[in-house]
Amino acid sequence: MIRFIIADLRRLWLGCAVVVLLVALATALGVAVTLQERSLRLGSARAADKFDLVIGASGSETQLILSSIFLQPAPLPLVDGELLSKLAADPRVAWAAPVGFGDSFAGYPIVGTTTTLVTSTTPGFGEGRLFAAEGEAVLGASVTLPVGAVVKPMHGTAETGGPTHTDIAYKVVGKLKPTGTPWDRAILVPIQAVWHVHGLGDEPEHEDGGTEPAATVASATHDEDHHHGGIDPDAPIVEDFGADTPGLPAILVKPKSIADAYRLRQAYRGNGTVAVFPGEVLTGLYATLGDAKMVLSAVAAGSQALVAAALVLVTVIHVGQRRRQIGALRAFGAPRVAVFLIVWLELLLLVALGIGLGFVCGLLAAQFGAHLFTAKSGVILPVGFTRDDVRLALFLLGFAAVLSAVPALLAYRQSPAQALRS
Amino acid sequence: MMPLKVQSLAVSFPGLATPVLSIANLEIAAGSRVALTGGSGSGKSTLLNIIAGLERVGSGHVVWGGQDIARLSEGRRDRWRAENVGLVMQDFHLFAGLSALDNVLLPARLSRVSTPDLVKRAHELIETVGLKRTGQPVETMSRGEMQRVAIARALLRKPGVIIADEPTASLDVENGEAVGDLLLSVAAGAGSTLVVATHDQRMIERLDRRIVLRGGCIVGDDVVGKVPV
Repeated sequence: MIRFIIADLRRLWLGCAVVVLLVALATALGVAVTLQERSLRLGSARAADKFDLVIGASGSETQLILSSIFLQPAPLPLVDGELLSKLAADPRVAWAAPVGFGDSFAGYPIVGTTTTLVTSTTPGFGEGRLFAAEGEAVLGASVTLPVGAVVKPMHGTAETGGPTHTDIAYKVVGKLKPTGTPWDRAILVPIQAVWHVHGLGDEPEHEDGGTEPAATVASATHDEDHHHGGIDPDAPIVEDFGADTPGLPAILVKPKSIADAYRLRQAYRGNGTVAVFPGEVLTGLYATLGDAKMVLSAVAAGSQALVAAALVLVTVIHVGQRRRQIGALRAFGAPRVAVFLIVWLELLLLVALGIGLGFVCGLLAAQFGAHLFTAKSGVILPVGFTRDDVRLALFLLGFAAVLSAVPALLAYRQSPAQALRS
Repeated sequence: MMPLKVQSLAVSFPGLATPVLSIANLEIAAGSRVALTGGSGSGKSTLLNIIAGLERVGSGHVVWGGQDIARLSEGRRDRWRAENVGLVMQDFHLFAGLSALDNVLLPARLSRVSTPDLVKRAHELIETVGLKRTGQPVETMSRGEMQRVAIARALLRKPGVIIADEPTASLDVENGEAVGDLLLSVAAGAGSTLVVATHDQRMIERLDRRIVLRGGCIVGDDVVGKVPV
C-alpha cells in the first residue's frame, strides 16, 4: 500500500508540493506568532529578573521600566538625588544604585552606574576588570569593541543625533560576560563621569557648570547648553552619595527581603516618587502583548481554516477525478478499507509533512525575529518548543486526520461499477 | 472451475420505467467460454458487472458454484470477487508509477494476501503472457503489453472465472488477436470459466457459446460446440 501511495504522490508531485507548502505556511504563521510571543515574555522577564525594585520620579511606570531596565532611550523626569543617600541608609535596602543615561557611542547606550550594581547584577567579567577611575568604561558582552578601545560619548542616540563630547573619552578596561539582557549592549561608566560630562555634581575641574540647577541627560527638560562638562579620567570613583547628588532618572534597589520589597514599594509611592516592581509593569505589558497575540493568532487560525477548507475542496474534486482509478482498485479486489486508507493516508501524509515543515519554518522565523530583536535591544529571546507546542502539533494532526477522512469516506462509499462507468 | 446460474434477475435504475436487465434464467457451465454480444445499451456491461459482483443485485439470484452473490454484503462481495474473479477491461486500469510486477501484485497486496509463492507466480505469469521485464514501469509499455499485464493480474489468484469487458477493443488487429489468443489459452490452462463481452467478431468466433443481449434481455443463445484454442 505504501508503495502505491508513494507512486501516486510522486505522479502528482506538483500538486502535492503545493498542498504541503500551503499547509506549511498556514502552520508556520501560527507557530511563529506563538513562539515569538512566548519568547518575548520569557526574554523580557529574564531581562528584568535581576532588578527587584525601580524608583523614579512620578510619571509613567512603564517608561521608567523600559528606560532603566530595557535601556530604551527616552527622557524621564528626575528624582531628587538626595533620595539615593536616603535609600542607601535604609535598613531594608541591600543596595541602591543610580542609573544615568542619555549618551551613546556607536549605537550603544552609555549607562552611568555604580560598581555595586555591576558586581551585583552581572555574572562577572569575560575579559579585563571593573572600572576603577572616572575615565574608565566597561562593555556589555554584545558590544563589538575591544578592551582598550576609546569611547567618545555622543549626546542622544545615533538616530536622534547630537553633538559628540569631543574632549571626553573613556578607556575600556573590561568586558562583561553575557547576561541576555539589554545591558549586554550597554557601555557602563561610573555615574559620576556621566554627571561630570554633563556639568553636574561635584566637579572640581569644571569651568562653569557646577552652579547650574540639577538636571541630567535623561531629563525631559534637558537642554543642549548643559553639555559642557569634562571628566578627570584618573579621578577615583566616589560612591558615597550625599545631599548634593544631582537629580536621577532612576534608582535600582535591591531590598533585603520580599517583605522589605513590598514595604519599600509602599513607602516610595507618592510624594513625587514612584516605586515599581518590574514584574508588575511587565504583567501589564504582557496583557497588551496577549491581546496582540490573540489578534495575530486569530489571523493565523483564519488562514489555517481557509487552507483546510481549500484542501477539502481540492481533495474532494481530486477524488471525483480519480473515481475510475478508485473503482478499478475495488473491482480488482482491493477491500473498501484499503481504498479508504489509501486516500486517507495520502492526504494525511501531505498535511503531516506540511505541519512538520510549518513547525520548522515557524521556529526559524521566530528565531530570525528573535535574532533581529536581540541585535536591536540586547534582550535574548529564548525561542523554543514546549509541551504546549507538542499538544498543538497533535491537535493539528488529529484535525488533519479527521479532515482527510472526508474524501476517504467518499472514496469508501463509491460503488466500483458506477465509478468504472463514469 | 465455476458454473453460473442466474435466475429471475432484474436490474432497474432510478428514473427508468423498465429494467435495464431482465433475465429469467441463464446457466453457464463450468469451464465454458462464452461471448456476450449486443449493441450499446443492450445490458452487456450491466450483466458483466452483476456476475462479477461489482453491482448490487436488486432482485433475483446470481449463483456461482453454489454461492449466491446477490445475498452477499458489499464487503463480502469484494472479498469473493478478489478470490474468484479475474477481471480484464478495455482500459487496462493499470497504475502508473508502478512496475508490471507491482501492478500484477497490487490487488493481492491491498488485500494482504501476498505471499512469496504469489510473488513467484506473478513472475511466472508475466513470463507466460510474453513479457520479459517484470520491473518495467507500465507507463512505458505499449497498449498490447499493458493488456498482457492486466491479464497476468487477472490470473494471479487462480480465479475460477475470468470476466473480460471488450479486452481487444482498444488494441490494433495484431495485438487484439494476440491478446484474444492469450485469454483463451490461459483460461483453458487454468480451467477457468471465461465470459467475454465483445464486439470483436474474430474473438466471438473463437468462443464456444454466444449470448446476444438486446434491451436488457437475452435474444440469442447459440452453442457452437468446442472451438479449438
